[in-house]
Amino acid sequence: MMQTQLQQGGSAPVISFDRVTLAFGDRTVINELSLDVAGGQIVCIIGPSGCGKTTALRMAGGLIRPNGGSVRLLGETLTAPRRDVAIVFQDYGKALLPWRTAAANVSLALEAAGVPRSERPARIRLLLAKVGLTGHEDKYPTEMSGGMQQRIQIARCLAQEPAVLLMDEPFGALDAMTRQGLQDEMLSIVAETGTTVFFVTHDLEEAVYLGDRVIGLLANPGRIGIDLSVDLPRPRNQLETREMPEFLRLRRQLFDFIEKAEG
Amino acid sequence: MNRSRFLWLIASFVTAAGLVWIWQVVADNRLVNPVFLPGPDRAWMALVRGFTTGDLDVKLLATVERMFWGWLVASLVGVALGAAIGTSPRLRAYLSPMLEFLRPLPASATIPVAIALLGLSDGMVLAVVAFGALWPVLLATVHGFSAVEPRLYEVGRALGLSRAAVIGKIALPSASPDILAGMRLGLTVALILSVVCEMIAGRDGLGTWILLAARSFRAPDLYAGVILLGLLGYATAVAIGLLEARLLVWRSRSR
Ligand SMILES: Nc1ncnc2c1ncn2[C@@H]1O[C@H](COP(=O)(O)OP(=O)(O)O)[C@@H](O)[C@H]1O
Ligand SMILES: [Mg+2]
Repeated sequence: MMQTQLQQGGSAPVISFDRVTLAFGDRTVINELSLDVAGGQIVCIIGPSGCGKTTALRMAGGLIRPNGGSVRLLGETLTAPRRDVAIVFQDYGKALLPWRTAAANVSLALEAAGVPRSERPARIRLLLAKVGLTGHEDKYPTEMSGGMQQRIQIARCLAQEPAVLLMDEPFGALDAMTRQGLQDEMLSIVAETGTTVFFVTHDLEEAVYLGDRVIGLLANPGRIGIDLSVDLPRPRNQLETREMPEFLRLRRQLFDFIEKAEG
Repeated sequence: MNRSRFLWLIASFVTAAGLVWIWQVVADNRLVNPVFLPGPDRAWMALVRGFTTGDLDVKLLATVERMFWGWLVASLVGVALGAAIGTSPRLRAYLSPMLEFLRPLPASATIPVAIALLGLSDGMVLAVVAFGALWPVLLATVHGFSAVEPRLYEVGRALGLSRAAVIGKIALPSASPDILAGMRLGLTVALILSVVCEMIAGRDGLGTWILLAARSFRAPDLYAGVILLGLLGYATAVAIGLLEARLLVWRSRSR
């Protein structure tokens, strides 16, 4: 965490795509994508479906390797997943171990990192408290609502003490109220830790509300079509922020972009 | 939920009691020659006699041991082999046709081969029982391991789990419902093969008890043996059921 705090003010990008090209078979999904994400920033990625948002995120996570160019994390070329890069998957139902309780699911990250058994319970309690799951430690994922399951996954990612948090439409499957609650929880956690966030969403308002920067991708092949910086004051507020002229202006700009991109 | 389960239990007991009653009526009215079909009362008396004055307990234990050891070997080998095949798509593609070819062969067909190789020994019985019970365990394990949610493997990679940890903490627990189902089937096969082997190879146990009773027209003893086999099958099913309930708590609990 110290490390990310230092990165925040620094100039070196935390995530860096350098002319990245990726093809599945003979189909080029991403072409010569270059993108630098500064430390401590929340960068939101939008774009028409199928334009390569998930693919870009998976490359940033080291789950797939580009065919051309390179993805660098904290200056190092990425060849495999790293423990200080955490991935929150959209399908929390599939990303959690159904045979483990909420606490045990969080424990998996600590076990992987070799945290001694005796230290785990206290850490788990803290992490679950952070995502508002105190009192639900011993429940199985299937006993919990979608919002609570996604909270477990976020707690498990926080257990990695990540420098970078990659989130692929993490709140897309949740109802509006739950989504707003989780957006604010995420913002306060990230503000506290200074984690760099790469956030994929199809919800334009969500992108503006959360981001320091919003990048819109164009499809076939995936490339950057728009890159906006968001100068809205923090902490953000669900009612006030969303009514600010700047918010509405950015929303309109992204809306027009998407309409053109899809049309 | 609990209420309907209770009703089902009652209904199945009533059905069982009804069948025993019909059996009794058929026997009492001599609708079938009593030499071939004694009533449940006489079968029960023969069962009690077998345990008190005879050595039915020794024979029961011998059969249980054969079944258990054969099943245990089958389970260990089946899970280990199944895990290897199920986690490797290449191995699976390579071995699947062979497994599908061997699977439908009746296990009792291996008995002559085993006798030729191992003679009429306890080792032969163990080999036949283990080989027969291996298939359901192996195939269920292969299926269980190949059906692990791919997303969970990605979670394992993202968290930096070792290969052993991925197998132990993700693949094995995920496959455990299938594995247990396979082991349940394997236990049934093991019981059947233990009895058949006893009959064919003349090893002392429930199988020989039933066979000898049949040859000497002691129908009550024969039925006593059959009843005992049924009870044994039921008891093993209950035991596995308890094991499943313990290991798979997470499946029974849901929102
Ligand atoms: N594993 C894969 N194999 C082949 N094609 C894929 C694979 N994953 C994604 N694609 C294709 O790549 C394109 C981009 O996918 P994706 O990154 O998931 O889009 P998005 O997340 O923006 O909706 C889509 O056309 C999709 O069909
Ligand atoms: Mg996607």
